[in-house]
Amino acid sequence: MKKTMLSFALILATGLLFAQKKTTTSAIINFDATTSLDKLPKADNKTVIASLDTKTGKLAFEVTIKNFAFSNPKIQEHFNSAGWMDSDQFPTATFKGNITNLTAVDFTKDGKYAVQILGDLTIHGITRPMEGTGSLTVSGKTINATSDFSIKLADFGVNGGAIAAGKVSKEPTVSVAAEF
Amino acid sequence: MVTTKINGRYKNWLIALFVLLLAGASVIYYLFTLQYDDTADVKADYTVNAPAFLKEFQQDMAGANKKYTEKIIVVNGMVSAIEAADTTANIKMIDTATGAYIIFAFQLQHLNEAKQMKAGDLVSIKGSCSGGHFSEILETENINFKRCALNK
Repeated sequence: MKKTMLSFALILATGLLFAQKKTTTSAIINFDATTSLDKLPKADNKTVIASLDTKTGKLAFEVTIKNFAFSNPKIQEHFNSAGWMDSDQFPTATFKGNITNLTAVDFTKDGKYAVQILGDLTIHGITRPMEGTGSLTVSGKTINATSDFSIKLADFGVNGGAIAAGKVSKEPTVSVAAEF
Repeated sequence: MVTTKINGRYKNWLIALFVLLLAGASVIYYLFTLQYDDTADVKADYTVNAPAFLKEFQQDMAGANKKYTEKIIVVNGMVSAIEAADTTANIKMIDTATGAYIIFAFQLQHLNEAKQMKAGDLVSIKGSCSGGHFSEILETENINFKRCALNK
């Protein structure tokens, strides 16, 4: 009986030790589609859900599209409308992928590590493969993840007169920051 | 005589066109320089209690989204967690039984109000509801708010 209890406790402890999925509900995404003609189409979303598995390198993000906060109500309305992000039909955007050079990161040692990311990005109901770079900064038990990249709106079926007129960038920049 | 009449009509058309252009430009200028009001000064569409509000989303996500999304709502409840960084301060109200939560991202001018809150505080928060969804990552429901302020 004692042996069984001990084995059970050992299995439980091992499981907890290797439960390396870290999550946050306050990751930040900045979206910047400004051009020389229009400085308004930029917004941030501060309630992004993200997870990082430090054992497997699995990385995931979930973004509520309607929680992008613009300064201008009209731009926000356009951004969410059927002709653009159509956020009633596609309320979230997601990323599911992996850090492909996980061996370069030592989660037990403070420092900043450059990482390669590969995965699938889904926006506006369309999924495209995505490859990018980022960094992981380890500081004690905290891990800060950042990545900057750009997306082609046309790849995700987002088109419109404002893009053609040069008022919205065809390739907005996206900055992601998450603290795990 | 005839030339004077034509010139007069032409002049009137030009004035009308000018007024129309001016009005159009004014409307466009107004729309694109418009900024969101301070949420603290905006009248709320609904006032709810956090547990009942979460339950409403859990029971009928589509119906609740239709009812509350993009509406200004006052949520009364207990602070479960504060997730703050330099430029952000998110307040969370969590249903401990299911893990479902409401999260409030504060307006820049109200960040300090959020940073002063503590877990366990009973608060009243006003914000713009961005709707709820089921998170595959967390395997639970969440409701997002933006442009929040302490409801005074």
